[in-house]
Amino acid sequence: MKKIFSTIAAIAIFATLSTAQNRTLPSVDVKTLEGSNININTIENDGNPIVISFWATWCKPCKKELNNIAEVYEDWQDETNVKLIAISIDNARSMAKVAPYVNASDWDYEVYIDPNGDLKRAMGVSTVPHTFLLNSKKEIVWQHKGYVDGDEDELLEQIEKLAK
Amino acid sequence: MKKIAILFTALSFSILGFSQENNGEFHGDFDLSMQSYQEDKLIGAEPADEIILNNAYLNINYTKGNFSAGMRYESYLNALLDFDDDYKGNGIPFRYATYTIDGLEVTVGNYYEQIGSGLIFRSYENKGLGVDNAMDGIRLKYSPAKGVYLKSFIGKNRTYFTYADGIIRGADAEIDLNTALNFESKTKIIIGQGFVSRFQADNNPKFNLPQNVAAYASRLNVINGRWSYSGEYAIKLNDPIGSLTAEGNNYANGNALMSSLSYSKRGFGIIAEMHRVDHMQFRSERAQEKQYIINYIPTLTKQHTYSLLALYPCATQSEGEFGTQIDVFYKIKKGSLLGGKYGTKISFNFSSIRSLQKGIKYDVNGNEVTEISSSFKNDYNDFTPKFFSKNGELFFNDINLEVYKKINKKVKATGVLAKQSYNKDVLEGKTNYGIVNSTIAIADISYKVKKGHTVRVELQELLADGGDGSWSMGLIEYTVSPHWFFAVQDMYNWGNHDIEKQLHYVNINCGFLSGSNRFAIGYGKKRAGIFCVGGVCKEVPSSNGFSLTISSSF
Amino acid sequence: MKNVITLFSFILFITSCDVVEGPYLIDNGGITPVDTSSNTYVKKVLIEDFTGHTCPNCPAAARELEAIHDVYGNQIIGMALHVSGFAEPWTGAGKYEYDFRTEWGTEWDEFFDISNAGLPRGMVNRTGYPNEHRLGKNEWLSAVITELEKEIDFGISITCDVNGNEGTITVNTELINDIVGDYNLVVCLTESHIIDWQKDGQTDNEFYEHNHVLRTVLSDESLSSSSSYTSGDIIAEPIAINLTTLEQYNIDYSANTAINGSVNAGGWNDENMSVIAYIYDNTTQEIVQVEEVYLNE
Repeated sequence: MKKIFSTIAAIAIFATLSTAQNRTLPSVDVKTLEGSNININTIENDGNPIVISFWATWCKPCKKELNNIAEVYEDWQDETNVKLIAISIDNARSMAKVAPYVNASDWDYEVYIDPNGDLKRAMGVSTVPHTFLLNSKKEIVWQHKGYVDGDEDELLEQIEKLAK
Repeated sequence: MKKIAILFTALSFSILGFSQENNGEFHGDFDLSMQSYQEDKLIGAEPADEIILNNAYLNINYTKGNFSAGMRYESYLNALLDFDDDYKGNGIPFRYATYTIDGLEVTVGNYYEQIGSGLIFRSYENKGLGVDNAMDGIRLKYSPAKGVYLKSFIGKNRTYFTYADGIIRGADAEIDLNTALNFESKTKIIIGQGFVSRFQADNNPKFNLPQNVAAYASRLNVINGRWSYSGEYAIKLNDPIGSLTAEGNNYANGNALMSSLSYSKRGFGIIAEMHRVDHMQFRSERAQEKQYIINYIPTLTKQHTYSLLALYPCATQSEGEFGTQIDVFYKIKKGSLLGGKYGTKISFNFSSIRSLQKGIKYDVNGNEVTEISSSFKNDYNDFTPKFFSKNGELFFNDINLEVYKKINKKVKATGVLAKQSYNKDVLEGKTNYGIVNSTIAIADISYKVKKGHTVRVELQELLADGGDGSWSMGLIEYTVSPHWFFAVQDMYNWGNHDIEKQLHYVNINCGFLSGSNRFAIGYGKKRAGIFCVGGVCKEVPSSNGFSLTISSSF
Repeated sequence: MKNVITLFSFILFITSCDVVEGPYLIDNGGITPVDTSSNTYVKKVLIEDFTGHTCPNCPAAARELEAIHDVYGNQIIGMALHVSGFAEPWTGAGKYEYDFRTEWGTEWDEFFDISNAGLPRGMVNRTGYPNEHRLGKNEWLSAVITELEKEIDFGISITCDVNGNEGTITVNTELINDIVGDYNLVVCLTESHIIDWQKDGQTDNEFYEHNHVLRTVLSDESLSSSSSYTSGDIIAEPIAINLTTLEQYNIDYSANTAINGSVNAGGWNDENMSVIAYIYDNTTQEIVQVEEVYLNE
């Protein structure tokens, strides 16, 4: 029990201290849907907000989140110029299904694949869905674990705060 | 170990003070899972001597410019029953430092790595399944020209809180032909070649064993407009397990072939995949134990999330199997007759896994020892199964159809129909159960009560004769965006041939999410199950009690 | 420079592979077992093979044990303990109806936590306790090689004066060095050449030969009341036995409904039985010496 308490205390300290500065994206390679390598650091949105959402083809809430946002994505873009980047953590078992699934779902997102979890670990993601919001300087200003119907409204609120 | 942690913490605090201006930053994540195990004679749940079991881990990473370092503290006091109980105690089994200079990335300490699809080498972690085979050593990554990626590594492989005996070396080269050779084309080609070898001294007094066992893998990706092909072929040279019996040492080469072809456009996608595996398990030590496995042969079946669809999971038989799988994704347009107002989504999946051609293993006198179904070679045997055998023994069959429709602004519904065949003897290493055939139907309906409040009802039915018989499952989940969720679930084994085992497994779960923190508590009974990952299955005993999970990122 | 580093490591690694050509069997087939016929004591190793008659991969472990015995001779002593669901007897199936389980086998399985990790699994002189003592069949050879190189402090000799059903077994422990420690002596009976069902891979073998099956534990006690021993000391432990009584004990254990026994645990053949005596360190659980003789010698 003591160990657990001290670890919780340690995290609390770190958490409060690290909110003092904003995290940036790590320098990790991911794969495009066509199989090329790209460093996640090089993504750009001309200073507009960026949403990074970790998902997988086998994760129901993840697909629900991305499909629900897809219905209103065009409106979001008109209003805030936000760009949504969907990072799939599908490994070799379901990697081949990512591109066909994305196409069949009619998504307009930028989709990348993180087959061995390198980006997932570098960003501290343990379960999916996990969504991050980046500001104009590509700093992480907000994040959310999990998804239930209606969460996209809170995400939009956060994006609107940045877009002002 | 404790001293190192304290030193690291002190050091990091001081760096933190300086780093505000220099862009150094800390981040990490924390995960805790605790469960209580009470006795429940009905479901056969044993109480744990410790009453509560607990897994926890904390990752801390520091990044500044081109440098990053980090560590992970893991605590198993003692490990949950779904983990191997060789995970005991606390420690810092993962620590690393990475530096990038002029494009050369050097990592020392622990790292994860994958070559191609992982057929010859995959070092990864999946905490939920109790898998972590990190490497400890040195890794180099370099891109000498645009579109050319090289990496090489050397190290020992993690087994619980220690490292296995073998020294693993590997290298990989990947070339994106269009970029590297600088030509514009509608066709995109990527090729890759990987290599891994393991060194372990030969201490066997009776047989000559190779000390350096090598494996090679070549891969090819071709994309042309809507078509995409990806294939990988791997070969592993002689890898006998070091037995003292002649029948135990197999000097045959192993091989694996993975191939997939897909066509997709807006609203439609179809993928056809196959794989053939023959004696292709690669380990960090000769001994044939699951904790040493360092390659990953993905199971060629759909990863199901509905519990009754995943009741009988398939696991890759890395000694020998031939699998095929087809997936079709289709979105019926909105406004059309079948599509309705919002459109309808259809997913179809079919997979079939069979054994390779069977052969006979002979002993020194020419007598039959046993039937084999993968390549085998020793002083008096040399068998290679043919590429495809129509009469291969059935391991697993799955055909399923999922339809999703948004009915109106408040109601969304998903329906699934599936038929599965599961060879319990082969897939679980058991005897006399034969093949369990099951038919499954699922209805999943969600209703929006008001803004932010949603209720979801799931009803599942599994009809089967073999195994445990038939099951029913019901679930009600109420979620309040963005913070709360609450769920009650019951799995009922009404069809069990043994009347005393026709039991209800009731479970209650609720949780709170805020930002990057998630808290969940649950109470109830869990049925005994099987978790399979990368071809290795673990039986998890039934349990009854409380559970608590906390996870947080910072 | 970076080019050179990575390309160099490439070439280095790619050349690191061995391909061994047949014949794979080394010409003189192994090592010469140590001469155990003279009166001097040698280091002996106990391999405990936890198994079950419906465990399809277990016969391979038994064959491995025999193969290690073939190479190293009398220095290797084997014991098969039938435990867990894989050893549960079936009822009314016409096969797998014998109950090979014993009270002590089940206790040791729980204490050392063996069958939870899957069968077959075993221990070699119980080295590596508490975290690394569970060894798969291919890990036994390395453990045996390490054990055989160890020095011995004890020598055990066993004499049996048993006629048919009754008699006395005397276990004499001789000290080779002066040592201090807390040691226990365990004396068991095992039986070999039992012909009964065993699942072997995909086959149901009706006429499988079960060897070294643990039948009973005659004694598991402190070696001596004092914890200091002097070189040359001899500690004698005589044990009176009655095979019918011992057999009935197992039958009664099998009759216990809580363990789903079949009561079918008798039919012992004293001509195929052996006595195994071993000494283990009570603090580390490691077995420091072991000896085996036939009951009817």
